[in-house]
Amino acid sequence: MNTFFLLSLILVALSVGSAASNYHENLHLQPLPPSNLLASFNFKSNTTQSSFEKQHFQYFPRALGQILQHANTRELHLRFTSGRWDSESWGSRPWNGAKEGGTGVELWAWIEAPDDETAFSKWITLTQSLSGLFCASLNFIDSTRTTQPVVSFDPAGDHSPSENLHLLHGTLPGEVVCTENLTPFLKLLPCKGKAGVASLLDGHKLFDAAWQSMSIDVRPVCSGPEECLVQVDQTVDIVLDIERSKRPRGNPIPRPIPGDKLVCDTSKSYHTRDTCYPLEQTAEQGWSITELFGRSISGSCPLTDSESSNEDAVCLHISPVREVRSSPDSVETKWTNDFTRCFSLPPSIPFDLTVPEQASAAHVPLDQPVLHAERTIVGHGQERGGMRIIFNNPSNEKSVDFIYFETLPWFLRPYIHTLQATMTGPDGIRRQVPTSEIIKETFYRPGVDRERGTQLELALSLPPASTVTLTYDFEKAILRYTEYPPDANRGFNVAPAVIKVDAPQTGRPIYLRTTSLLLPLPTPDFSMPYNVIILTSTVIALAFGSIFNLLVRRFVTADEAVALRAQTFRGRIGGKIVALRDRIRGKSSKVE
Amino acid sequence: MSANHEDSESSQTAMTSKPSASSLPPPEKPNAIQTRFGVVAAFWAVILFLGFPIWWKTTSIYRAELPIQEMLDWAGGKSCRPVFPLEIRFDTPSLPDLEAQQLLRITQHTLDDLNEFSAHHLRLKLADEEAQQATEKADTALTVRLLAQDDLSSPRSLLDADTTTLDVFYPPSQIPPPSSSISPLSSYIAGELQRLFAEEKAIMAHILSNNAMGANVNTPQSPNSQAQQQISPQLAESITRRLRRSMKYAETYHLAFSLFTPGSAPSSWDIESAVQAYISPLVQVLSPISNFTIDTQVQLYASFSPTTPPPEYDETQQVWTLKEENLSAFINAAEWPLNPSIGSGPTINFILYVPAPSQSPLLVNEGKATSWIIPQWGGVFILNPPSIPTSESTKGNPPHLPANALTPAFLTFSHQLLSLLGTPQTPTSLPLRLQTLIRIRAATLLLSASSTMGSLARLTESLPSIPIPATVASSVSATLSHLSSACDSLRQGRFMAALASARVAETEAERSFFEKSMVGQMYFPDEHKVAVYLPLLGPIGVPLVLGLVKEIRRVVVGWKARRG
Repeated sequence: MNTFFLLSLILVALSVGSAASNYHENLHLQPLPPSNLLASFNFKSNTTQSSFEKQHFQYFPRALGQILQHANTRELHLRFTSGRWDSESWGSRPWNGAKEGGTGVELWAWIEAPDDETAFSKWITLTQSLSGLFCASLNFIDSTRTTQPVVSFDPAGDHSPSENLHLLHGTLPGEVVCTENLTPFLKLLPCKGKAGVASLLDGHKLFDAAWQSMSIDVRPVCSGPEECLVQVDQTVDIVLDIERSKRPRGNPIPRPIPGDKLVCDTSKSYHTRDTCYPLEQTAEQGWSITELFGRSISGSCPLTDSESSNEDAVCLHISPVREVRSSPDSVETKWTNDFTRCFSLPPSIPFDLTVPEQASAAHVPLDQPVLHAERTIVGHGQERGGMRIIFNNPSNEKSVDFIYFETLPWFLRPYIHTLQATMTGPDGIRRQVPTSEIIKETFYRPGVDRERGTQLELALSLPPASTVTLTYDFEKAILRYTEYPPDANRGFNVAPAVIKVDAPQTGRPIYLRTTSLLLPLPTPDFSMPYNVIILTSTVIALAFGSIFNLLVRRFVTADEAVALRAQTFRGRIGGKIVALRDRIRGKSSKVE
Repeated sequence: MSANHEDSESSQTAMTSKPSASSLPPPEKPNAIQTRFGVVAAFWAVILFLGFPIWWKTTSIYRAELPIQEMLDWAGGKSCRPVFPLEIRFDTPSLPDLEAQQLLRITQHTLDDLNEFSAHHLRLKLADEEAQQATEKADTALTVRLLAQDDLSSPRSLLDADTTTLDVFYPPSQIPPPSSSISPLSSYIAGELQRLFAEEKAIMAHILSNNAMGANVNTPQSPNSQAQQQISPQLAESITRRLRRSMKYAETYHLAFSLFTPGSAPSSWDIESAVQAYISPLVQVLSPISNFTIDTQVQLYASFSPTTPPPEYDETQQVWTLKEENLSAFINAAEWPLNPSIGSGPTINFILYVPAPSQSPLLVNEGKATSWIIPQWGGVFILNPPSIPTSESTKGNPPHLPANALTPAFLTFSHQLLSLLGTPQTPTSLPLRLQTLIRIRAATLLLSASSTMGSLARLTESLPSIPIPATVASSVSATLSHLSSACDSLRQGRFMAALASARVAETEAERSFFEKSMVGQMYFPDEHKVAVYLPLLGPIGVPLVLGLVKEIRRVVVGWKARRG
C-alpha cells in the first residue's frame, strides 16, 4: 500500500513537471527508524526544444544546456553519491533507486553520433566540460572507465527513432563528493538556493549525512510530434541522523550523556548508582526543520507559476497520530493517504515545521526491498583473488528477475569459467547449482589492458525465499611504475555493481547498487628504479673492469712489481712513507 | 697452446727473479704491446663509433628547421611595409570626360599635399576608367558622386548613411578651367575626403607606431610622428582608450545576453524578438569579419558581492546612485553564472540589470548614465522598469519585460558591440565604418601574426632544449606565405582578401606558438642525469681512460725515443 502511494506521489510529481509548468520544486520528509530522517528535494524545470536549440535559456541552466548541445547529448544522467543506504533498517530506496548512483560519481548519457568513434569523442568532450562545471574529476573517465551497457539502462526520454543514439556509461568510484559539487549544483537552480526549499541545502549538513545522493537528469519529453520539451530534473536525497544533526553548530563535538540523565534498566541485578544498562529509547524523537538543517525555508520560490503546484511544496510522510506544527502562514493539506501531509509555502516569509517528541507513536510501515545484494572481494595474496556476490530474495511467493551489471577495471582480470553459484533455498540447505539454472543470459566483453575494462551483464532469476552466491576468481595485474597513484597502498577502487530489477506493475525498473570495493594490488617499492640502476651498473662495471684489466694489464711477480715501482718517482716516495710508518709502529709497539 | 707458452714464460720469470729481490722483469715482447694497443683501440672504437652515436641519437631532441631569419624579418617589419591605398571612385554623370579628368588630377594633387601619412593614402579614379580594367580590381572604398546644382554658391556634400556614397553638390561655375592648377571645388572635395578618413588614419598611425613593423614604415624621417602631431591629443587619447577596450580579434565571438535581477521578477523577457530586431541585422553585416553565436539567459536572485559598496540614495533627485569608481566591482564574478560559452572564441557578455524595487531607479553617479562598457569583456545596461503594485503595500518589478521595454537596452547593446569590436565612431555611414574595421583588423592581424613569428623565432633560439615538431615548421611556413599574400593584397587595395589571408596567418601563427608538444617536455634536471649515469660510467670510464692515457704516453715516449 505504501509503495503504491509513494509511487503515485512520484507519478503526480512527474505529470505536473511535464505539463506546461516551467519550474516545480518540492521537498519530502520521512522519518526512518531508528532515528533518521529522509529528506528528498526535487527540482524540475523545462524549456521548449526550439528555444533550447536557439540557446534562449530561461529556467534551464545555460552552462549545462551549452555543454549538452556541444556534445550532441540527448539525454544525461549524472549522480554524486556518498555513504550507504541501509536497506535492512530503512527499507526500499527513495525513487526506487532511479535517482541514485554508486558511491562516487556515475554518469551515463545518450549521445547522438553517426558511429562509435564520434560518440566516444563527444563523450570525452562531455566529461571534460561537466568536470569543469561541477568541479569533479569527471575528466578522468577515459576509455578504461567507459562502457556501453546493453540491457542495464533504458532511455527515460522520448527520442525520435531517426536519431542514432549511443549509450555510454562511466563511473568514478573514488571521487569524494563534497561542497564544491553542491555549489555548482545549486547555481543551476533558477532560485539559486536563496528561496524555496533549496534554501535548506547547506554543505555542512548535506555532507554530514549518513547517505546522500545528488542527481541531475536531462531528457526530452514530447507530448506531440513537434511539441517537445527539454526537462532538467535535479534531486538531492539525504538521510540525516536526527541526533547528530541537532547538535548546535558552535559546539559540534558529541559528548556522553551525563549519568543522571541515562535511562537505565533497573531490573538488572548489577544495577547500581554507577553501573547502568541503558534502555532503548521508546519515545519518538522530536525535531524541527530549523534544528536539523540549521535554518528555515526562506519562503517559496515564486517561479512555480500555478498555485496548485505550490500546494505540495513540503510534504511530510509521517504517522497520522503525530502532532505537527507548522508556521502560521502555510496551508496544510492532508492527502487521501493518511500518512502524507503537505504544506504550501508562504511567499517571502520563513517557514518552519516542528514535530515534537511523542511517546511511542505508530510507525509508518516501510516497504521491504525486492532484493538484497552484497558484493565483496575474497581471497588472499598479491596475485589472485575472488569476487563474491550474494543475492537474497526476501519474498516468499515471487521469484525476482533482474539484470546484474558490473564494470571491472582492466587490472582486475576475471576468469569467467570459474563462475559458480551456490543456493540456499527456503529449507536452509546450501547446495551447488549449475549457473545456467540461475543465469538466463550473459553479456561479457573482456577487458583489454590499458584500453578498456571488463563489462559483465547477467540476466538472473532468483526463486522465492532463496539466497544465491555467485563467485568467480580473478587475477591481479601488475601495473607499470608510472601507473600507480600516489596513495598506491590504499588500494584501487572497483566501481559498484548496478542491479536493475524489472517491475512490470509500475513500468519503471527498480535500481539497486552495491557498495564500491577496494582492491589491493601488488605495489612495488617506489625507489626501485634507482636501486635497479645502481645494482646493474655495479655488476656491469665489475664484469667490465675485470675483463678489461685482464686484457690490458701486464702480469709480473710481486718482487718484480716492487722493483718496477721503485723505478718511478711515485714509487720511491711511497716506499719512504711505508718505511716511516713502519718505524713509528715499531716505536709504539716498544712503548707498549 | 699459447696459454701453455705463457705459463712457462711466467714460471720462468718467477724462477729467474727469485734470487734477487729487486730484479726487474724482462722487457715486454712487442707483440704483447701490440695486442694491448689493439685491445684499447678496439674498446675506444666501440665507444666512439657505436656507443656515442647511439647515445646521441636516443637522447637528442627533434628540432625541425625553421626560417629564423625570415621570421625575424617579418617581426622587425623588414619584409612588409603595410600600405593602405584607398580607392575612391568619381562618378561624374554631368561632366565631360576631359573636365572630369582635370578635376580629378587637381583633387588628387591637393589630397597628396594634405596627406602627411604616406602609408594611408587615397587614390582617385573615374568610374568609367574603373570599368575598363576588370582584372586586379581593388575594393572601392567610397564613391563620390558629383552633382551640379544651380542655386548653390558654394559646394555642399551629403554622406549616405546606408551606402558608401558621398554626394557632392556644386555650382556649375566652379568647374576648374583646363589650364588652372587650383580650384575651390577640388580643394573642397579633398578637404571632405580628408575629414572622412581622419579617424581611420589616426587609428592606423597609432597601430603602426606601436609596433616594430610599423615603426619602420616610413624611414628615414619617420613622418609617422608628423602624422601623429596632426592628430589632436583628445582624438589620440580616445583612440588609445578605444583600442584598449576592444576585443582581440577572433574567428568566432559568442554573444551572451543575460538578464540579472536581485529578486524573483522579472523572470521572462521578449528576448527572441529583441535579438531579431536589434542584434541579428548587425551580426549579418559583420559576418564578413567574424562569425557570431547568440545565447541568452535569465538569472534571478543575483546579488552584489559583499565587498561591493552598495548604491547610495540621492535625496535631492530621489534616485539611487552607483559611484563611477565602483563600477568595476558591479559584476559579482564569483556568483553570477557568466562562464564563457563552449567552443573556440571569446564571449562578449551583455548584462541587463533590473534593480530591486527598493533600489529603483538606479543610475550611475556622474552624468546619470545607465550603461557602460567593461573593456574586453562586454557591456552593462541598468533598466529601471515601472514598478507595479504586487500586494496591498509593496511594489514589485513586472514579471515580464515586453519588447518595447527592451528597446533602449538593445540599442545600447548594439552600439556597445560595435565599439567592443573596435569599429571607429566616425563617419556616420555604417558601411564605411565597417570597411574601416576590415582594414584595422587586417592591419592588427598582420602585425600580431608577424610579432608572434618573431617571438617564436626568439623562443626557439633562446631555448635549445625544446623540441620543434614538424607541424610547427609547416605552420610557420603557412603563416609566412599567408602573411606575404596579405601584404600583397594590402598593396593592391584588396582589403577583404588581405583580411582573409591575415586571419589564416594569425591562426597558423597561434597554432605554431602554442604547440603542446613543445612545452609538454619531461624535465630532467642535471643532477638526475648524473645520478643515473654515474654509477655506470664511473667504474667503466676510469680503467678505460687510464688505459688510453698509458697507451698514448707509451706511443709518445716511443716516438720521442725514435726521433732522439
